[in-house]
Amino acid sequence: MLQCIFLISDSGEVMLEKQLTGHRVDRSICAWFWDQSISQGDSFKLLPVIASPTHYLFQIVRDGITLLACSQVEMPPLMAIEFLCRVADVLSEYLGGLNEDLVKDNFIIVYELLDEMIDNGFPLTTEPSILREMIAPPNLVSKMLSVVTGNASNVSDTLPSGAGSCVPWRPTDPKYSSNEVYVDLVEEMDAIVNRDGELVKCEIYGEVQMNSQLSGFPDLTLSFANPSILEDMRFHPCVRFRPWESHQVLSFVPPDGEFKLMSYRVKKLKNTPVYVKPQITSDAGTCRISVLVGIRSDPGKTIESITLSFQLPHCVSSADLSSNHGTVTILSNKTCTWTIGRIPKDKTPCLSGTLTLETGLERLHVFPTFKLGFKIMGIALSGLRIEKLDLQTIPPRLYKGFRAQTRAGEFDVRL
Amino acid sequence: MFNKFGSTSETLSKASAVVHRIGTDAHLYDDPEDVNIAPLLDSKFESEKCEALKRLLALIAQGSDVSNFFPQVVKNVASQSSEVKKLVYLYLLQYAEKRPNEALLSINYFQKDLGDPNPLVRAWALRTMAGIRLHVIAPIALAAVGKCARDPAVYVRKYAANALPKLHDLRLEEHASAIEELVGILLNDHSPGVVGAAAAAFTSICPNNFKLIGKNYKKLCQILPDVEEWGQILLIGTLLRYVVARHGLVRESLMLSLHGMDSNGLCEKDGLGRDLTLDKEEDGGKSDSFDVNLVSLVSKCYIEGPDEYLSRSSYTDTVSSAFDSKETTSIAHNEDVKILLQCTSPLLWSNNSAVVLAAAGVQWIMAPLEEVKKIVKPLLFLLRSSSASKYVVLCNILVFAKAVPSLFAPHFETFFICSSDAYQVKAYKLEMLSLVATTSSISSILREFEDYVKDPDRRFAADTVAAIGLCAKRLPTIPTTCLDGLLALVRQESFAGDFESVDGEAGVLVQAVMSIQTIIERDPLRHEKVLIQLFRSLDSIKVAAARAIIIWMVGVYCSLGHIIPKMLTTITKYLAWSFKSEASETKLQILNTTAKVLKSAEADDFQMLKRVVIYVFELGECDLSYDVRDRTRFLKKLLSSKLACHKPAEDSVASQEHIATHVVEHVFGRKLTPFSPLALHNRFYLPGSLSQIVLHAAPGYEPLPKPCSFVFEEQDQLSDLDRQREAAADLDDSRESSETVDDDGSSDYDSESSIGSDCSSDGDERTVSNGVNDPAAPLIQISETSVSADQEELRSKKALDLWLDDQPSTSNQTPSALNSNQSSYAKISIGDIGSRVKPKSYSLLDPGNGSGLKVGYTFLSEVSTVSPLHVCVEVLFENSSAEPILEVNLEDEESMKVADSSEQTLVGKANASYNNVPTLIPMEEISCLEPRQSAKRLIQVRFHHHLLPMRLTLHYNGKEVPVKLRPDLGYLVKPFSMSIEEFLATESRLPGMFEYSRRCTFDDHVKDSRMENGKDKFLSICECITLKVLSNSNLHLVSVDLPVANSLEDATGLRLRFSSKILSSEIPLLITITVEGKCTEVLNITVKINCEETVFGLNLLNRIANFMVEPSSSAS
Repeated sequence: MLQCIFLISDSGEVMLEKQLTGHRVDRSICAWFWDQSISQGDSFKLLPVIASPTHYLFQIVRDGITLLACSQVEMPPLMAIEFLCRVADVLSEYLGGLNEDLVKDNFIIVYELLDEMIDNGFPLTTEPSILREMIAPPNLVSKMLSVVTGNASNVSDTLPSGAGSCVPWRPTDPKYSSNEVYVDLVEEMDAIVNRDGELVKCEIYGEVQMNSQLSGFPDLTLSFANPSILEDMRFHPCVRFRPWESHQVLSFVPPDGEFKLMSYRVKKLKNTPVYVKPQITSDAGTCRISVLVGIRSDPGKTIESITLSFQLPHCVSSADLSSNHGTVTILSNKTCTWTIGRIPKDKTPCLSGTLTLETGLERLHVFPTFKLGFKIMGIALSGLRIEKLDLQTIPPRLYKGFRAQTRAGEFDVRL
Repeated sequence: MFNKFGSTSETLSKASAVVHRIGTDAHLYDDPEDVNIAPLLDSKFESEKCEALKRLLALIAQGSDVSNFFPQVVKNVASQSSEVKKLVYLYLLQYAEKRPNEALLSINYFQKDLGDPNPLVRAWALRTMAGIRLHVIAPIALAAVGKCARDPAVYVRKYAANALPKLHDLRLEEHASAIEELVGILLNDHSPGVVGAAAAAFTSICPNNFKLIGKNYKKLCQILPDVEEWGQILLIGTLLRYVVARHGLVRESLMLSLHGMDSNGLCEKDGLGRDLTLDKEEDGGKSDSFDVNLVSLVSKCYIEGPDEYLSRSSYTDTVSSAFDSKETTSIAHNEDVKILLQCTSPLLWSNNSAVVLAAAGVQWIMAPLEEVKKIVKPLLFLLRSSSASKYVVLCNILVFAKAVPSLFAPHFETFFICSSDAYQVKAYKLEMLSLVATTSSISSILREFEDYVKDPDRRFAADTVAAIGLCAKRLPTIPTTCLDGLLALVRQESFAGDFESVDGEAGVLVQAVMSIQTIIERDPLRHEKVLIQLFRSLDSIKVAAARAIIIWMVGVYCSLGHIIPKMLTTITKYLAWSFKSEASETKLQILNTTAKVLKSAEADDFQMLKRVVIYVFELGECDLSYDVRDRTRFLKKLLSSKLACHKPAEDSVASQEHIATHVVEHVFGRKLTPFSPLALHNRFYLPGSLSQIVLHAAPGYEPLPKPCSFVFEEQDQLSDLDRQREAAADLDDSRESSETVDDDGSSDYDSESSIGSDCSSDGDERTVSNGVNDPAAPLIQISETSVSADQEELRSKKALDLWLDDQPSTSNQTPSALNSNQSSYAKISIGDIGSRVKPKSYSLLDPGNGSGLKVGYTFLSEVSTVSPLHVCVEVLFENSSAEPILEVNLEDEESMKVADSSEQTLVGKANASYNNVPTLIPMEEISCLEPRQSAKRLIQVRFHHHLLPMRLTLHYNGKEVPVKLRPDLGYLVKPFSMSIEEFLATESRLPGMFEYSRRCTFDDHVKDSRMENGKDKFLSICECITLKVLSNSNLHLVSVDLPVANSLEDATGLRLRFSSKILSSEIPLLITITVEGKCTEVLNITVKINCEETVFGLNLLNRIANFMVEPSSSAS
């Protein structure tokens, strides 16, 4: 089981340590870890399981903060990693983000949360809605109150009401004057376009996100018009397996507030909404590059915030890029970002320019990969449709809302 | 706070930063010590205390040691504010181990909190108490956990389960069984939350105590989907281990696929293979189905421990002797396996990747062959989670894919690489792609590889090139396409390779040449042209390592085909020409190659080649590198005969040179055999384990238990017991008043459990399983103590009436003869037993250590004459040597020190001055002990602590030997005679925290009753128990309750009561022993102690349980 959790800032400073068992872990392990990641570079920094001379280390990096957990004995590594991910999720929800200052400013909350989330190295309560009940998230009111009165406890002194029931994720009997439930389909398109311009892989990773503000003990049923297109799925613990197995219906008692009901994948899509056509010619130490971006198949809604980013190869010494639409920025680490926004009606956005190679190099022999970003509101590109959302007992003043959005996930266009 | 605000708000930006940080604890973290913390801790305002504690936590977070505030912090544990309490707990857990004495101050508050009506407070108190890790309070903590394990609030029970591993971690041998018992109780809980935590406790405390699982197996399977995710991970593993231990592996599963083939012949294999490749187009070829050898190796690895791994001798051996058919089971006939597979398969949809992987592991090991493929999609879906879990999942998938590549072959697209993948993930994906490639998918995979080769990350590009080589090796149809691509790459890279500015570039080239080499190796003759192209490109390739490989190939394939031999002169000339400018790595290869070429040279080229070789050797001899010079000299010597003669065939003429030529033949002439690494020393670990990721057995890693190693004998006993209980229940209806104690207890629990389960949604379903027919029912009876006090009293009175009354008013079936017999026994046998009591003797000094002097001691039941605190100990000195031993004496170690400092005073006097009550009343000195003579002496000792031994010094022959006198808990009490009424009254005053019980077994009477057949069985059992108890402790027998049972065989309900007072404090201590089971068999007994002094009581309880179990010495 886990023995200790460290939060390390992006400069290598140990911001917080939380010992979990009697077998104390000295923080010198962090120094070792940091030395190694400096000397071995990125590939070490991204290694999630490390066997150090004294401990097994599990790490995840989130927004520059490294969460490092130590263990000396056999344990499921995914359990440690998954737990650290949950901690990071919960912390960023509580603190409104995750960075060095936020962690330091709210270290008491971080301690209190960690204390609730893990005991003796074994995860305890990780369900955000219950944590919210036990430890109040900081908000402006409580902050001001603590300044004025100097005393505001954010630790609840009563048991989370759901803890004893058969639906531990739901507080018993929340009260709302208007009952609202929102269902969001949030989809991400993963695609790979190879160097021949061929669409090698195109699939949708989607999540059904819900925000339920319902009184009492609602029992919901959500059904899709075309569940057969779903290739893979994973469910929130509240979803009952049987109804899904028998007739592909989601039946559940929702947690209170926002949560992720399920995630799914739809494979083998035939088309992408946006095309990217890069071209490159190199001759005598300079390359001419031109990239065209346009709409391939109109989804019927506007495609927003289109961006294209790529990493210039090491051997490029300087670049001169311009576009007829949008802005181009090149950072010092040779990351180039072209922000297009919406595609204008009258012209096709085009990025063009020259790259100068290092002296002695005739032609470019390595090519960058373009990462495409876009967002389309109001449509789920997978074609998944929600048929209906039923409540077993219909509360007064019920409002049901449905939304959908698609954005680019891992969308790679290789040059 | 306001001051700070004012002083820093000079600039707008600063002000906004402050506004942003207002109300947070930022200032506390930034400068925790800007005020004096100590007075704040003593403040009467909660808010100030709170701030001080926050400052301390900030210091802890920053890594400073603030344990010096411990005393002040501990005081605040009494605070009513939940926030202060929480912060104090956080602090306590950090430092309690360091400051044990002060930490003890907090125990009382925890005890108080444990009785709080708010379950949250109880849970916190329990959690902290168990977490402070002090041996001293372990018994109290354990008792508290025992209480909380039966708490009505689910939340508290869950924390009780969580507390168990903490206590186990303290390594309390004497409490081990009590802890396991509690694990059993909690595993049987009806709330999924508790079961999850109990499963975690089970895995860390007693992962191999399958008895506990066996009792609840079906229930655990049913509850599994409702358990919270973290518990699920461990519970899945536990259930899998149980099934393997109980039933062995499944015959139809992948793990035993080889075994099935052995018994059913080859046709089966085809069938299975087809099953697996059912949904794919016909590919043919062996690689498509699965690697049988590897699969059986994997399954063996899952089960074998480290010893077997180390002793594994040869590959074929292990495969053939893999499994015994007895140790397997079939899914068709085994309910347990079926249930396990059923209840884990929906978990493949879990939101938690660790749960999915654990469930997939179960399916992988246990599921029938054709169903294994259902784990594929969920596993692949995991690859769309965080990058960290992606890495771990890929590690595990790789093993699956190695064993059964066809499982993942249709999904090859999933392993296409994304630019955002981490390098390790990319490397694993490449390995996967090269593993799962089939003839139909290879073309698209190769096209992907072409793209990857142009990736800016050159290390990754090099790996891709290596993967191409692997693919070509696996699929014999594609090498030509691969080779063309690789050659083109070599050509292209050789230009780029000129340019050393980009590191990693060289790596791609070297890897390309190596891949070409591995492909050629399989069929060199076919790829002659490729070789020629490579040799031609030598001039343009500048990377030393790549050159070295090509040059090596020149040597190896120098006699291949028709064209190459003709090129040799040109190549060697070129090599000789370039020798000077080469790296030493290449130079060595040039030397080797020229030597090889010379050896196999044709007659017409021989002279030419010889000259070239001599030239190269001359250059080599004056090279800067030692290695090159040495190699040159060695080769020159070896080839001296070749170099001396003029024709290639002449070399074997001279006989004295024969050995040298032989050596040359041997060194250079051997045929090249393709090298294939044997999988023999690969070791696989269970899917989802840490060891599988780090590739060594992590501490605590346990393979699956040996198949069928756990024999579940409970079944028969249970059904017996059930039958008995049913019979008893029938009888109860007819005569309520004389119902047996045992039934009383269990029915009590049943009603309680149905109350507790109200909160569960499908409670009705679960309470059914808690009913009479539940095989777990006997376990519940441990919870005897939960019976409330007044009921207890009532029942005891009932029993008392029965016992006192010679003709019980209500008995219509009870044989009255038995009763009268019993009561008379109680009166006469006590005195009788007194003479038979043989107190146990302990050794103080071995004759081996004491040059022939043997010293033993026994505790006496006599009460000391000096003070009530003293215990009488009889010390027996025995001389087993041949010489007489002089001046034997025992003295207190401490008094010795005093005596040393204050000259030669008498020991007694020194003692008296040292303390009012001497710790040791010394014995009379033995002036001389003749050989084989023994002497007894009496000493009286006052122990400082009931567990700590007393250090004494033994004098003899002028020597001093330190010895330790260990206290026997049983003699730190004195008999306290009381009547049964008094006993019951005292008992009823000591409920709750002051009552603790333990179960153990007792079997002394089995031998005994065999010897004395004529005697009554109850009588002999009573006698045996009493004898055992009184031989080991100093107690007073109060009463014996007799069972009113329907059979003479059933001793259930027999109850003995003892009373005593603790020596040091005069606090009464009551012991009740209740017997259960059949007269002729091993009995289960429950020992219950009521005492105000919790620590002493618990320790004594453990001592009693221990000596009841250990075989009796007096019987022999």
